[in-house]
Amino acid sequence: MNDKAPVPGREKLAAAREEAVGLREKAVDVREGRVTTRERDIRAAEMTQGTSNDQISLLRQANAQLVIATIDAHKLAEQVQTAHADLDHLVHHDVLTGLPNRILLNDRLAQAIALAHRQGKQLAVMFMDLDRFKHINDSLGHAVGDRLLQSVAHRLVGGVRHSDTVSRQGGDEFVLLLPDIEHAEDVALSAQKMLMAIARPHLIERHDLHIGVSIGISIYPDDGQDAETLIKHADIAMYHAKESGRNNYKFFEPDMNARAVQRQSIEVGLRRALERQEFVLHYQPKINLHSGTIVGVEALIRWQHPQRGLLEPAQFVSIAEDSGLILPIGRWVLREACLQARTWQDAGLPPIAVAVNTSALEFRAADFLEYVRATLDESGLEPRYLELELTESVLMRDAASADSVLHALADLGVKLAVDDFGTGYSSLSYLRQFPIDTLKIDQSFVNQITRNPDDGTLVSAVISMGKSLRQRVIAEGVETAEQAAFLLAQHCDEGQGYFFGRPVGAEALAVLLQAGVSPVFPH
Amino acid sequence: MESRDLLRHQIIESLITHRTEKVADAAMNVWEKLATEIISVVGEEGFNSLYERSVFLAQRTFPWLAARSLSPQSDHRFAELKIRLAEQTPVQARVANILLLITFTDILTSLIGEALTTRILRSAWGSEELMAGHPNDISNKAGKEFDNE
Repeated sequence: MNDKAPVPGREKLAAAREEAVGLREKAVDVREGRVTTRERDIRAAEMTQGTSNDQISLLRQANAQLVIATIDAHKLAEQVQTAHADLDHLVHHDVLTGLPNRILLNDRLAQAIALAHRQGKQLAVMFMDLDRFKHINDSLGHAVGDRLLQSVAHRLVGGVRHSDTVSRQGGDEFVLLLPDIEHAEDVALSAQKMLMAIARPHLIERHDLHIGVSIGISIYPDDGQDAETLIKHADIAMYHAKESGRNNYKFFEPDMNARAVQRQSIEVGLRRALERQEFVLHYQPKINLHSGTIVGVEALIRWQHPQRGLLEPAQFVSIAEDSGLILPIGRWVLREACLQARTWQDAGLPPIAVAVNTSALEFRAADFLEYVRATLDESGLEPRYLELELTESVLMRDAASADSVLHALADLGVKLAVDDFGTGYSSLSYLRQFPIDTLKIDQSFVNQITRNPDDGTLVSAVISMGKSLRQRVIAEGVETAEQAAFLLAQHCDEGQGYFFGRPVGAEALAVLLQAGVSPVFPH
Repeated sequence: MESRDLLRHQIIESLITHRTEKVADAAMNVWEKLATEIISVVGEEGFNSLYERSVFLAQRTFPWLAARSLSPQSDHRFAELKIRLAEQTPVQARVANILLLITFTDILTSLIGEALTTRILRSAWGSEELMAGHPNDISNKAGKEFDNE
């Protein structure tokens, strides 16, 4: 038997075994394949789940951003709306007092006129201007002035009906619209009520401030058919209330227009007067009460009007102040007075000081000091012969700034006087601090010194105070021998007034200077 | 729209008014549920933005609601609100919380509409809670309102 010879039984067995192994391998392959598929499925499911979570998270983030963006947009829209409302309020209201302004008043007035026209009714416009407010603003400063305006606004609003409109026109001017009035008498009552409301003292920063108001009234339809005319006529009536002593009211009357036109014509004329050299200076002597000698003069402006003749300052200075023309006019006065004083000296007359009134506008001009210095240089007048007269209100407003200018003037050698002393608000500590040479007692006190014991006492006190501050004291408006005697008895240094001499032209004053003493004193 | 708004407002009022626990605790419960639901949709930042805006608007009526900040920790999110409410009288706290919730849901409604807002509120508070303990017209209406969504 050959061992290597194939045996059919074994072969079959081997083949069967191989087949079985092959099948097992296939089975393993199939099992492994199933496992792989399952793993792939699980992995795929896990990936799907992961993707879904990511998407939710992304959606949530997107939602959050949308919510935030939308709410931010809401906030912005609200801010724009608020700003729009604020702007609208600002356009139609006065910032200081919160009252309706000129624009809103005109709008309401136009509506009220239309309604009154349809219903055949009347309405009233009151134009109100505070009396001497500038005085308070100048002496106590803008902060106090502003608080006073707020207080006045509060009083006005408190005194009107809900249907009335109180507006601020600007500055110290207020306009009140009273729609639907029955009789002019009712308006008069309202005006009276306003006067009383404003007259009560205003307590502001420890100051008990007293202020009056002048009121002009126009009535629709009698005094005007439109807003502009009614306001203009109420304004004109207000000027008349001021001219009639202030702190009262006036109804518009047609002939008031003529005077308003005249005022306008004065302003136009003033603008030309400087070019045409229509101004002249008159000089009023200041007298030493002990010796009777002329120790100085006050330069006083006059306007040689081409049609109306020689006009006193009262007829045009307030218009010059309102229009700002007081600045060039004041500078002309200063230059002219210095040149004249030098001319008198050159003519061999005794040298005297010439006093010049200085307005607030001039004093606050940035180049005031420089102008004074240049004018003295040009005229050749020694500074000690120039005296600048300033009112308390000019000095006390922004006292720190005034102090430096005053000291610069004093260093230059210019003399300084407080004019109309006693009529404004003065701080005694500043009076001591300022380099003031002279106090001029206002003529309103001097007028009454021999008749009213209170005024006499006041004048005596001012003289004593001036002495103790080592200042010269001069009394203005001395008109009688009794007044002069009283002042002399109180040791007042100097006097000025009609009793000693009226203001006269330069040539006439030269004659007086030549004589050396006042005509009323024995030579 | 207005009547639906009013109804949602009434639902909130009813929900808060008839809670028996202390006002501040009840408020916390309601706010926490609402926060969970809304955060799942708009995230923490989205919720905070909505809530801050609601407090800002509601403090015009109740200045003491002014929140200095949201607590960064989610489990103390309303700690400041709880303190503020607890400092007030129960009536005052309840009225303020109602206003705050109404303001919040008003804003939400302006963003996503009434229908979605209502679904969220229903998920947060559920109709059962709304019906519980106060079988009056409003709560019935509230339940129906929520069920019908």
